Amino acid sequence: MAAALLAAVPLAAQQNAQSTQPPRDTTPPAAYYGVTEYQAAREKLERLMQPAGFTVYIIADMEGLAGAVRNATEMKPEARGGSVDHERFRQELTDEINAVIAGARAAGATQFVVNDGHGGTLFRNTLPWALDPAAILIRGYPKPIVMSTGLNPKVDAIMIVGAHANAGSPGVISHSYAFDSFTVNGKVLNETGIAAFIGGEMGVPLVLASGDDQLVKETREMLGPIEAVPTKIAYGFQAAAVRPLAAVHADLRAAAARAVRRTKAGALKPLTVARPYHVRFCLRRGYAADDWVRTTVSKFEGVTPDAGAGQGCFAYTTDSAEAVGNLLNLVEWTVLKP
Amino acid sequence: MRRPLLPAVLLTLLPTALLAPPAFAQGAAAPDSAAAATAAARRAAQARNDSIYAAKRVPPGEGFRVFIVPDMEGMGSVVDIHEVIAGNEGERYKPLTGPDYWGHSRDLMTQEVNAAIRGARLAGGRSFVVNEGHGGNMFANVLPWELDTAAILVRGYPKPLIMITGLDESFGGTKGTMMFTGAHATAGAPGVMGHNFAFDSFTVNGKALNEVGINALIAGEMGVAVSMVSGDDELIREVKEILGDGFVPVISKYAVGRSAAITFSPAQVRRELQAAAAEAVRRARAGRLKPFTMSKPYRVEFMLRRSFPDAVVQEVAGYQRWKLEKVGERTFRYTTDSARDMGYLLDAIEATVLK
Repeated sequence: MAAALLAAVPLAAQQNAQSTQPPRDTTPPAAYYGVTEYQAAREKLERLMQPAGFTVYIIADMEGLAGAVRNATEMKPEARGGSVDHERFRQELTDEINAVIAGARAAGATQFVVNDGHGGTLFRNTLPWALDPAAILIRGYPKPIVMSTGLNPKVDAIMIVGAHANAGSPGVISHSYAFDSFTVNGKVLNETGIAAFIGGEMGVPLVLASGDDQLVKETREMLGPIEAVPTKIAYGFQAAAVRPLAAVHADLRAAAARAVRRTKAGALKPLTVARPYHVRFCLRRGYAADDWVRTTVSKFEGVTPDAGAGQGCFAYTTDSAEAVGNLLNLVEWTVLKP
Repeated sequence: MRRPLLPAVLLTLLPTALLAPPAFAQGAAAPDSAAAATAAARRAAQARNDSIYAAKRVPPGEGFRVFIVPDMEGMGSVVDIHEVIAGNEGERYKPLTGPDYWGHSRDLMTQEVNAAIRGARLAGGRSFVVNEGHGGNMFANVLPWELDTAAILVRGYPKPLIMITGLDESFGGTKGTMMFTGAHATAGAPGVMGHNFAFDSFTVNGKALNEVGINALIAGEMGVAVSMVSGDDELIREVKEILGDGFVPVISKYAVGRSAAITFSPAQVRRELQAAAAEAVRRARAGRLKPFTMSKPYRVEFMLRRSFPDAVVQEVAGYQRWKLEKVGERTFRYTTDSARDMGYLLDAIEATVLK
């Protein structure tokens, strides 16, 4: 997910940085691009899709990639404080997506949409020139419903590669958007779970996730027995026993093929949550302590303080998972805004 | 066959505003007389050189001629300013470059041009001129060592009629045509990195023109028609409104943000460009394309970008060569019978802005 949302910046450092910054622009979030001009993203993608066949929508994240453990050097480019290793992991990300596409294709999938879901290079991590040429690639930022841009009911299955465990979980670079916690009707959702929730409302199941062992474990608890590929065994926030990359690629091919077959057989169901959706979330501790972020989020339409849960905690009730996606957009916009 | 140089009347329309003296900040000391004399001599030399540059023609070519204007914002795959800026274009561009500009975008751009040339050649195109239309790296983005070996490449800045330097009547009628690759939507439009020269708005006779439209109008006076345009879906929609449906469109990507898009494999975009360029040449050779024209005189109205400092507005207002009527805080009107002259005005404004 968004780089600014990776490991929480130490509170003291953040406050220190703030004190030297000029006052921030408080333009109302209604002016935010994805929510106004670009609501047509879903229709645009839908029109581009083939009417028949089997479409796989692949979300590309990076923290759960095979081999990756370090947030500071591997998750973002040199220009944004990372290192050249980020370039190598962009290749690994593309390799893992290509493995998923190859496996899915072998099982009869005919169309592939890849949505870059990692903020490291502001959602431009996947290498367009190295990606399977059959794939449509959604890249750049901001874009509507960050990790689910363009998702629509014509998609047959969602898969996620490079996924990471939830905020507070004992996984490699674990986090969830800008939150310390996020629940819908009391059900805990990590980023993968939120993508499954948005897809589920459209009748689209999330059928494959790859990431560390903690991501695999918690996502299966949320979504049931989906296909999953453990890329590494977490030994700490930035430590893991990593598997050989080639072995992970082989597993991804096999798992993607199984996932398509099981979806076609009706064995993998969309995530359904009863309406209305009662969303409760707490901003990450650093953001919760930021008056401007807290105030801005509290002004979003329909968002109310969840005082009982603590400072920076809010509640939001809606009948639309896409509306929840837009809320994520707005929160991202708020914390990423320079 | 070599054509005669520009008629004398055009030589009088040279871009003297390119030579506008630097705007001295208010309160700054006036230059002493020796410095003023040096500056005047430099301006005179520059004026002489500009007239020579503007009168030059690209070498003639045998067979059907294709003039290609590659830009970058509307290319396949790219979505972000860091992918189209070299960082050496001026102080404020320094932080806006990235490794993908140097490592990949220019290569993709060059391959897009090559695909257009391949397609055009299949349909009978024989002579190719490529004129850098993107300001990144000061109009030196296309890789000369990777470009189709048949093509002449116009690169660098400043150059006369920036985006169509070297275009002439030999690319008109059924003997030649003009194509845009990687074009972008206009300022304020919901396209990827939309903008329009130095303007927030630009109209001729009340009709909004984007960069493709402005250059198509100048080309139209030379009898040259636009036969192919590639860019995002918003750009293609705009160009159809301006030029009609005669040209062959290639939608390189679908904008879902100012810096985000639904994109396709570069190989796929190249395939489409190749097929479209072939169809474009077939249409041109069959005489099915009309140059873009508007009724004269051209009543031009433009608003300089809000982000420019007041000094830019003042310098434009002070141009000697063009009688610009200031009708708003940064809005000007100007009437002319020559789209080429309008092009030289844009050169001058670009020079003012990039200074």
